Amino acid sequence: MRAARMLEFRTGRVALWLLVCLVTGPAVAQDRPVVDLETREEQAFKEASAVVAPAVVRIQTVGGLDRVGRVLTGTAATTGVVVSPDGYVISSAFNFVSRPASVLVTLSDGRRFPAKIVANDRAKMVTLLKIEAAGLAVPKMAPRDGFRVGQWAIAMGRTYESPLPNLSVGIISALNRIWGRAVQTDAKISPANYGGPLVDIQGRVIGVLVPLSQRQAGRTAGVEWYDSGIGFAIPMADILATLPRLKGGEDLLPGLMGITLKAGDVYASAAVIDRVRFNSPAEKAGLQPGDVIASVDGQAIKRLVQVRHALGNKYAGETITVLVKRGEKSVEQKIALTGKLEPYTPTFLGLLPVRKKQGETTEGVTVRGILPESPASKAMILPGDRVVQLDDKAVADAAGLFDAISRRRVGDEVKVHVDREGAKRTLTAKLAVVPSAVPVVLESDVIVAPNPKPADLPKTGRFNQDLEGHDHSFWAYVPESYNPAHGYGLVVWIHPGSDTMEADIHDLWKPICDERGLILVGPRAKNIAGWSLNEAGFIEALVQEMQQKYRIDSQRIVLHSYSDGCRFSFHLAFKYRSLFRGVAASSEPLKVAPPENRPDLRLQFFLSCGDKDNLHRLVQRTRVRLAAMKFPVVLTTVPGEGHSYPPIPVLEAIARWIDMLDRI
Amino acid sequence: MMAIRVLSMVFTLLVTVVVWPSTAVGQSVHSTIQRVQQRTVKVFGAGGIKRLHSYSTGFVVSSAGHVATVWSHVLDTEELTVVLSDGRKIRAKVLGAEPQLDLAVLELKAEDLELPAWDLEADSSDAGPGTRVLGFSNMFRVATGDEMVSVLHGVVAAKAPLATRSGAFETSYEGTAYIVDAVTNNPGAGGGVLTTRGGRLLGMIGKELRNAASNTWVNYAVPISELKQPIQQIIAGKYRARQRGADEKDAVARFRPLEFGIVLVPDVLFRTPAFIDRVQPGSAAATAGLQPDDLVLFVNGDLVQSCRVLKQRLGRLDAGGKLKLTVRRGDKLVPVELPVPDKPLTPASGQPKTKPPGGSK
Repeated sequence: MRAARMLEFRTGRVALWLLVCLVTGPAVAQDRPVVDLETREEQAFKEASAVVAPAVVRIQTVGGLDRVGRVLTGTAATTGVVVSPDGYVISSAFNFVSRPASVLVTLSDGRRFPAKIVANDRAKMVTLLKIEAAGLAVPKMAPRDGFRVGQWAIAMGRTYESPLPNLSVGIISALNRIWGRAVQTDAKISPANYGGPLVDIQGRVIGVLVPLSQRQAGRTAGVEWYDSGIGFAIPMADILATLPRLKGGEDLLPGLMGITLKAGDVYASAAVIDRVRFNSPAEKAGLQPGDVIASVDGQAIKRLVQVRHALGNKYAGETITVLVKRGEKSVEQKIALTGKLEPYTPTFLGLLPVRKKQGETTEGVTVRGILPESPASKAMILPGDRVVQLDDKAVADAAGLFDAISRRRVGDEVKVHVDREGAKRTLTAKLAVVPSAVPVVLESDVIVAPNPKPADLPKTGRFNQDLEGHDHSFWAYVPESYNPAHGYGLVVWIHPGSDTMEADIHDLWKPICDERGLILVGPRAKNIAGWSLNEAGFIEALVQEMQQKYRIDSQRIVLHSYSDGCRFSFHLAFKYRSLFRGVAASSEPLKVAPPENRPDLRLQFFLSCGDKDNLHRLVQRTRVRLAAMKFPVVLTTVPGEGHSYPPIPVLEAIARWIDMLDRI
Repeated sequence: MMAIRVLSMVFTLLVTVVVWPSTAVGQSVHSTIQRVQQRTVKVFGAGGIKRLHSYSTGFVVSSAGHVATVWSHVLDTEELTVVLSDGRKIRAKVLGAEPQLDLAVLELKAEDLELPAWDLEADSSDAGPGTRVLGFSNMFRVATGDEMVSVLHGVVAAKAPLATRSGAFETSYEGTAYIVDAVTNNPGAGGGVLTTRGGRLLGMIGKELRNAASNTWVNYAVPISELKQPIQQIIAGKYRARQRGADEKDAVARFRPLEFGIVLVPDVLFRTPAFIDRVQPGSAAATAGLQPDDLVLFVNGDLVQSCRVLKQRLGRLDAGGKLKLTVRRGDKLVPVELPVPDKPLTPASGQPKTKPPGGSK
């Protein structure tokens, strides 16, 4: 204790002495013999750091993970900066990624305190700590508008067991980096000083050192740049501006409005809205695709990149004013930013439409079947009813009704106007989520062979073919009863590595295709050992070829795969969202992050796996991951089976699932 | 990783060029650099396989031809060559070494050399954080033949112990080191020198070193004050290598938490925090007022981050002293003091492990 007090006393005296030096410096310098500029600068580095040193604290953590993602987290001491005399300390969020059980703060005078994590700023990656202390030294802040590229910048940390903080000297390399959030410096920034201050030559804090990355977000992003001459500091002025919210224990999230901008040169193209995410703040504010963003909070936007800059320092909960040009008009909207965009949840009415034959032009949607327990069933919609109007909008066809239902929310009540044997009725249905099971019975739509057979009927039965313009071949099965008046479902079989399984797949699927009106096509990987991702173009071309030759129902084009073939089929499904409506994947988990679900690009999944398969648990997790993104997903577990192709009952379930893909 | 380090090296060099353009000052730094480069040599020896470099750096410590360098695998050969700053290649042998300081002294096999050499008494200095420094080394073997070794610049980041007692670094050197904000410690840089801008010798650049605690590379130099005496004694033929941790072996597990009456929570994670699960009635821990759920944070002033480290620390305690613990209880830090038993509670038979007081197992 005496030692600590002694130290405190000494630090105090040194600081005082240095202050005197700073104040009287110039006068004294004139009396000195010629001292070169570098020596004086060196002295200034030391003095500047000594002025801030009392507010630079050492942070130690106890317990916690030793690995976060791929980054091994250290147990070394890290650094923080005192931001208010009553014990608030700001540090880099990186220092707490290991989620430590206990955090300890050691002040420059040697006193130690247990610290509490108060709140995190997840946009700027800083964490606020609180210790029970009073009368702490708070450093001066360098004003944000005084930052100049090229000025001296001293990075300070308190990592080493030394009474003096560790220093690294550099300059400010750039301003407004990482979408306006950070100052860049070439001083050496690493875990040795993350959380510490970046100080100007006058001993004022420019900002707090953090690892950041332009391309990634996340708690360890940017660490790979340590000591590289690229380091970042969050301006202290910005931190102080958010301090009251952080002190209140509120985690700050980057503010999102839920739009994507049309791809283009970010530094040249205008900011044209490409998509407005369903249910997002932007949608609620009425922004539309095609709107051109002209200003954000009064700041003029001429290029794409400026939108990101304008939003870089905005948090969830804040409201921005966006001015957009819509054609000739200018529209101004207030948008309340959110921290999390909720994924789109597909809605479900439970109605199977009659598939119109070629040339049929009946108005509205005639009901072929009603799924049991569905909103349509509860609303007493009956097979044979013709849906002519939804709420106050006329229904032209199944696609129109489907689109209208897709853009409603789960739980919404819709008025379904039907024509039942000439009488008009209005029924009310409450939209639900898509069920995660396939009905045990689903009547198939009977297709009879054309009579007489047209002369120009394309190939039917099983056949082999090369795809023109591609270095690939494929096989296919088309029901002998193929009738071009009807739309067919298309099953694209993606075989696993080193086995095309042609004969088995053909024999198993032929009766199913005949019953359900499906065409099966089996592309062959160029190298039989497995698919390479750049063969995706061939699959797309093959589907287009089949669409040209046969009448394919675009609502029922699915990928089917087994084992490692699924990797490619998932890839295809995510790459060609407008082409594929479903993936039936057997015995293989999803290894990439699923994309965002969208009302305009319907995609559903049918997973199956044997419960004795080593991958079973991972396939279960795949279901959870897809469901978390609100994709409709069915998982069928085959009892007693190991890693093997699914048995006939599962294939029949897949067929029923395909037959339901055009349900509304 | 290496790419980044090289990149930053290039950065450093660029900055060097930018920062010192003025001629007057340039002159003094220029003469410093010339003077130091003349006293720095390239060392070539064993290596070249398994990504081990076969070169390092040295500095001339006597005009008769003694070179101080870093103790490494490079020296493990009969075919040791030193290339002087003027390009002369001279065979050398290891005269003596101090592995604990990572130091070796070479003797050049040539007569009447009269080399420019460091005067370890007059040319040495000391520096604190913020002091501008220059690093000279044969890093990456960039300099060939009579080319001068590379110069980097930076500041002293800290002067602090490298190896904390928890063994954060895999290095034999455990004393205070200069930690530098320039990337001085590259392949082949070991044995180079760190100087002030005025050309005062501060330290010898160490090997490449990864900080096990923060998982980053550390750039450091061993202060010349630590090396001066051993170098002089090795040259004079009077040096005796230090005894290496004589008692290390039997120090490992002298005491366990149970011997103080402390039962820790089960050590299930790599970093299980050292929470006290139970305190044995009547034990030293009970007398000192320790309680279940106390989190042990410091042992004799050193932070313990896990059960494992706590056990290691207790294992190394000296018999008969005091054990000072600081525990976190709720939001308070509570210091307690426990007596360390006079001798490890070992039965007379001399078996290493013992039963705790109270008889539970």
